Amino acid sequence: MISISNLKKTYNGVTVVNIPELFKKKGETIGLVGNNGAGKTTLFRMMLDLIRPDSGEVISDGKNVAESENWKDYTASYLDEGFLIDYLTPEEYFHFIGGLHNKTKTQVDAELPSFSEFFNGEILNKGKYIRDLSKGNQTKVGVAACLIQNPQLLMLDEPFANIDPSTQIRLKNMIKEISLEKHITTIISSHDLNHITEVCERILLMEKGEIIKDIATNSNTLQELEQYFSVLS
Amino acid sequence: MAILILYILLNVVVVAFFLDEILKKTNPSQDILYSFNGYIIYYFLMDLLLRFQMQELPTLSVRPYLHLRIKKHQLINYLSLTSLWTTFNITPVLLSLPLLIKIVLPQQGPAQFWGLLLSIIGVTLSNHFFSLWIKRKVNLNAVWMLIFLGTLLLFVSLDFYFKLFSISTLSAELFTFVVASPLFSFLFLFIAFLVYFLNYRYLKSNLYLEELHTADSSHKSSTEIPYLNRFGKAGDLAGNELKLILRNKRPRSVITMSLMFMFYGLIFYTNPTFSGYAGIVFCGMFMTGIFIINYGQFMFSWQSAHFDGILVSKVNAVDFFKSKFLLFTLFSSLCFILTIPYVYFGWKVLIVHFVMFIWNLGVNTLLVLYFANQNYRRIDLSKGATFNWEGVGASQWILSIPLLLAPFILYLPMSLLGYPEGGLAAIAIIGLFFMFSREIWLSKLVKKFQEKRYLIAEGFRNK
Repeated sequence: MISISNLKKTYNGVTVVNIPELFKKKGETIGLVGNNGAGKTTLFRMMLDLIRPDSGEVISDGKNVAESENWKDYTASYLDEGFLIDYLTPEEYFHFIGGLHNKTKTQVDAELPSFSEFFNGEILNKGKYIRDLSKGNQTKVGVAACLIQNPQLLMLDEPFANIDPSTQIRLKNMIKEISLEKHITTIISSHDLNHITEVCERILLMEKGEIIKDIATNSNTLQELEQYFSVLS
Repeated sequence: MAILILYILLNVVVVAFFLDEILKKTNPSQDILYSFNGYIIYYFLMDLLLRFQMQELPTLSVRPYLHLRIKKHQLINYLSLTSLWTTFNITPVLLSLPLLIKIVLPQQGPAQFWGLLLSIIGVTLSNHFFSLWIKRKVNLNAVWMLIFLGTLLLFVSLDFYFKLFSISTLSAELFTFVVASPLFSFLFLFIAFLVYFLNYRYLKSNLYLEELHTADSSHKSSTEIPYLNRFGKAGDLAGNELKLILRNKRPRSVITMSLMFMFYGLIFYTNPTFSGYAGIVFCGMFMTGIFIINYGQFMFSWQSAHFDGILVSKVNAVDFFKSKFLLFTLFSSLCFILTIPYVYFGWKVLIVHFVMFIWNLGVNTLLVLYFANQNYRRIDLSKGATFNWEGVGASQWILSIPLLLAPFILYLPMSLLGYPEGGLAAIAIIGLFFMFSREIWLSKLVKKFQEKRYLIAEGFRNK
């Protein structure tokens, strides 16, 4: 699905991302962990063609993301609130995003009830613009907008931060479900090692821009990661 | 907006320097100083009205200090002092100082000069803190504004038409008295201090962001703008941007100012010295193109908060640009329709307006979008537009040069040769040429955008 080669980005002489080679298979659920400044968000942004890499390329489904825009047809992502149009109501935003993927308003409206448990009654028909929602509720809007796009590739940057424990559990179940049923490739970053090892079948550990560990998740993974992070500090 | 503020300030300076001449002309029978004094109360009543409408409340600036070891009274003094730096406070001094130096200082003496100046400063400061206090205390909506404006107009008509009583005489007598006994000016400073204290006490007992910063908690409903649907995805994007304009403070005030600009023609067309085409070309370009100029100069900064979202979503760059053209056409047409009544000043006004409307759509839209590709500055939509310099950079200044000069480069040579109609035709032809060849320029703009989008996105991420 995605292959990265010789990807490099430096800011003021500091290398933020340096990945010689990385493959992501279709249908994989991949977790990205690493301390602040490890380069997770920069990697996401380069995979989404928001930042131009100094060298190297990201190939998605056979095409370079910086050259072809085909990846936008099957890629949905939510990195931060900068992805939301904050002066719209959540409903208007969902309709707009659905419309970009040729879904009518009624089609989108028909899909929204399936999120009712995830939204926990805090998103729809509240008479608020997205900018007036709490950060956690904004994350819910962002994640739901991703799923409305029926993506083949899903990227979420720290989706578990800011949302309440019940929603965290529901989000975990949702991600597991879609990767099982729809065979979606998912890339998630998180600081919560419990969640990430529970959801993801493959974990990438980043440090100073490099992927220093690439682990297929097993029963020892959590321990292994905890050990790494405790030694580091 | 940057061009506009500078232009207004320039006007103020010019008026200030010739104020004595202007007063001599408008009130030939009266002493200049006496007529000057007669306008002071009216000026400050207008000032108050404008302040209610436009003055910013610097409230959120204390947020990072509220939980720190800083005494409340220090915070309030900080809030009050930082609020002083506004054009509203500079203008009265700027307006009156040349006249005071030219007339009062030589004729009356330094004590009288200082007396009048300090009184004006005192009234300015009273107005300043009074408007801060009342704006925080009551939510002044449009109804209050209209009541205030209505009362003001009533007073003016009672004063000048029916001559029932005269505020201008009151004003003149009051300030002439100040000139006669300058020590009296300390009363005005004392009033200013009282109003400051009123504001201080209110802030002291209400220093909670929640209470000072009235968040709009009304029910927001989802709406759809029906007409735009037929333009496909570009229409959807234009619809979103229309909502951006209507639902955010700063773009909304840009629209209010643009509407106020529709009266711009009254200044020029009522004056017989501007009977040539050049004045109408200038006026017509501003009136029919004010939205393109005023809103367009900050593109794409308006969308800086969600620019990443636009780039990763399935929004085609061509549709993105087409939505801008759609928005420009929509607002320019509206402005053209609103300026049709100027036909009262002759058919040629309407024709020139139409030519400039075409020019705006053909040339100025492309110009503005060309500069939008070089603009990397983030804008916070929730702040007011008046005297807000955020997002103003070199690009806005450079943009204003071709914007102002281009039509005259076409018009003036022909006009000087004695064919002003030919100059007008040249503007129309070039405007039409760029309108019909828009697709070519559009593809060039899109290509440039694809190159620059990383830089634009990076700039917009910098808060």
